[in-house]
Amino acid sequence: MAKSEDCIPILQGLLVFGNVIIGMCGIALTAECIYFVSDPHGLYPLLEATENDGIYAAAWIGIFVGFALFALSILGIIGIIKSNRTLLLVYIILMLITFAFEMASCITAATHRDFLTPNLFLKQMLERYQKAEPANNNDQWMTEGVTKTWDKLMLQNHCCGVLGPSDWQEYTSAFRLTHYDADFPWPRKCCAMDAQGLPVNLDGCKLGVPGYYNSNGCYDAISGPVNTHAWGVAWFGFAILCWTFCVLLGTMFYWSGIEY
Amino acid sequence: LPYVPRVPPAALLGKVTATTFALERPCCVFDRHASAADTVWLAVAFANVSATFRNPPSRADVPPYKQLPTTHSYMTLETAAAAYTCPAPSPAVLRVGGDTACKDQGRQDPCNGPLPSPGPYRVKFLLMGCHGPKAETRWSDPILLRRALSPSTINPVPTRRGSDVVVIASLLASLGTVLATAVLGALGAKVWGSLCQRDLGTSAFARRSYWTHHIPPALPQPPPPGC
Repeated sequence: MAKSEDCIPILQGLLVFGNVIIGMCGIALTAECIYFVSDPHGLYPLLEATENDGIYAAAWIGIFVGFALFALSILGIIGIIKSNRTLLLVYIILMLITFAFEMASCITAATHRDFLTPNLFLKQMLERYQKAEPANNNDQWMTEGVTKTWDKLMLQNHCCGVLGPSDWQEYTSAFRLTHYDADFPWPRKCCAMDAQGLPVNLDGCKLGVPGYYNSNGCYDAISGPVNTHAWGVAWFGFAILCWTFCVLLGTMFYWSGIEY
Repeated sequence: LPYVPRVPPAALLGKVTATTFALERPCCVFDRHASAADTVWLAVAFANVSATFRNPPSRADVPPYKQLPTTHSYMTLETAAAAYTCPAPSPAVLRVGGDTACKDQGRQDPCNGPLPSPGPYRVKFLLMGCHGPKAETRWSDPILLRRALSPSTINPVPTRRGSDVVVIASLLASLGTVLATAVLGALGAKVWGSLCQRDLGTSAFARRSYWTHHIPPALPQPPPPGC
């Protein structure tokens, strides 16, 4: 029939176009996930210490899935142009496996993002910041990571604690065990610093005089990058999967129509 | 003296902590009674024993900081009366309990050490001269220090599942199921189709019987009579 003969090049063209988009999105996904895994904000030690670094696992999977999508899209384009049943069958099966992995990555990123509540970071900060006697090497590694990350966070973002400096007053902490409450109502890094890294007015900082200490909480500085990471992986992956779904259905239809 | 010491009403986050508290500086309160050699002390007592506190008759009888656990009161912050004149020199608050160095050494000097328990405490200022107390302010209202909770009371579990997770998970699961069904269906149809064709071949082969047309051997027709 003339109509189906006309339709075939159109279908081929659409599928090739679909695969080109998949290839480009695969490269973009790989690049985005490499950016997130490189941890530009230095927040990974906090997540590692909470043993809740699922969003990093999702990003790692995303790197390999993106690359696989790129390679498979090239295979798909070749298979469609040559109308080769075997190539297209291999393409479909490998794409399904990649689809499953990307599904896992998206759901992992979205689910683990929900675990990162202010209370989680608060509890971890109170229990680990400047903890004096770590139980073992792993504990010491995590304690150092948490302490360094919090110091950097509080200095760079001019913030203190998770919700505010009163976190250090409302709860006892590992920090409180080694530092007197009279001298350190909150850590020194919460004080407003001058150019040399010394508190501008130590007594003012201890009393809580506005201007001599950081009164904001650091949760915004933590949750901002973490949210970008998690939603970037989850929603972009979801968009790629929706597009891949359509292309795969079209390819299966094309494959079933190829005569031997 | 009618003055009542109090915690400064200003918004200072550290005005009451677990072991210290701040007080407003009593400016111009002792001017009429103080001479140059007088000192102003701060008497700190637990709220339930403040009624039984007796002013020490001389400087030697001043209860020191380390007696706080036993006598439930002590006096500290010995300053010259000149420090409390008008106009107010900075700072405008006094911090009770801010000196952690003297609590271990146990010196006899007035020690402004950290308070060991949350209280509540009551304070009053006492103007001491050479011959004993000359004037005193009223007792303050009870000051309760902060009590800190243990971090194990913090519950890190999120209160409710985010809606994004549900959307992503459900849509992805349905897409995956549709794809898997489509692939299985397509493969199954092809396999079924090829099986049916093979069956058709063998059965047709079996059924297609060789129909023999019984053609009797043609008897040679006598040639038609010659033309």
